[in-house]
Amino acid sequence: MPNTVNDTKDAVVARSDAAARLLRGMRLGIPIFLGYLPIGLAFGVLARTLGFTVTQSVICSATALAGAGQFIALNIMKTGASVFAVLAATTVVNLRYVLFAATMSPHLRQTRLPLQAILAYSLTDETFAINIADRRAGTATGASMAGVGLISLIGWVLGTLIGATLSGFIGDPASWGLDFAMPAMFSALLIALAENRRQAAMGVLAGAFALMLPLLAGVGVTLSTGWIIIISSMTAATIGAVTDR
Amino acid sequence: MSADYIWAVIAGMAVANFAVRFVPVAVISRIDLPTPIMRWLRFVPVSVMGSLIALEVLRPGGEYQAPWDGAHLPAALVSMIVYRLTKSFMGASVAGVVAFIVLRGIIG
Repeated sequence: MPNTVNDTKDAVVARSDAAARLLRGMRLGIPIFLGYLPIGLAFGVLARTLGFTVTQSVICSATALAGAGQFIALNIMKTGASVFAVLAATTVVNLRYVLFAATMSPHLRQTRLPLQAILAYSLTDETFAINIADRRAGTATGASMAGVGLISLIGWVLGTLIGATLSGFIGDPASWGLDFAMPAMFSALLIALAENRRQAAMGVLAGAFALMLPLLAGVGVTLSTGWIIIISSMTAATIGAVTDR
Repeated sequence: MSADYIWAVIAGMAVANFAVRFVPVAVISRIDLPTPIMRWLRFVPVSVMGSLIALEVLRPGGEYQAPWDGAHLPAALVSMIVYRLTKSFMGASVAGVVAFIVLRGIIG
């Protein structure tokens, strides 16, 4: 029986290892938690004013976990658009997740499908950036990435719950300046993600493209924010890859 | 807005959002990507962040804003510098928000 005993011991060690990594990931994700709280709160307030119940607001945040996508959904629902129109618009905004998922994929080869599903579900701009930076530092594991996802989900859902419950007492969270939490985090993430000068330059170039694309409206081509992000970032990434020899 | 309409949107968004994230992971993690595509993918994260930040900072709320107007750009720079110096996402995010609130108070 010694083998069984050893196996059990190994399993226990592996489990506590995984728990430690999950906790490490949750600590790593605390800035995301703090950033999501006010924005989730803003979503909760807005959803309630449009006729969502508290339950609907919270379930929406917990299942979609799509910051910008959810706000855009509310905006379009306000106009009385069809369910299909709302879904099409939010999916376009979230198409950038296809890029993120593709970028993460090579790092998830050793990960089993159920954990891949959990990581995919908790994939956002912020969890992606933190996890990919952590991965490049060589310290990320499946469990730590799940921890980053979990704490982020808690922040987003808790923020929504608070906002939806207290919507009557809370004004517009943007008036406090807390809406800058996201751009502030993105700015730090850009620095963290740029491995070298060329990558940093492509980040700037993508930003320049993103600012130019709305001008196409002048010639009758109106692009939604989702398409602007996809076109500008894919163009810059292509230029970066082609000139990288 | 009817409850049925809201529930339909919630259900649809849950499915669509999961699909765009999960399908690429499930498929691409099982195949070997050619080197040029791997090289391309290394530029994707910075490019997406660059686009997101540019729009948030210089086109907040969907309206162009000159770099010297408003607190967005300087606050974003504060966030970048603090991250560069401290390597702390928390510190950088908090510094960016505080800078934004303070600068907005000054600039108006």
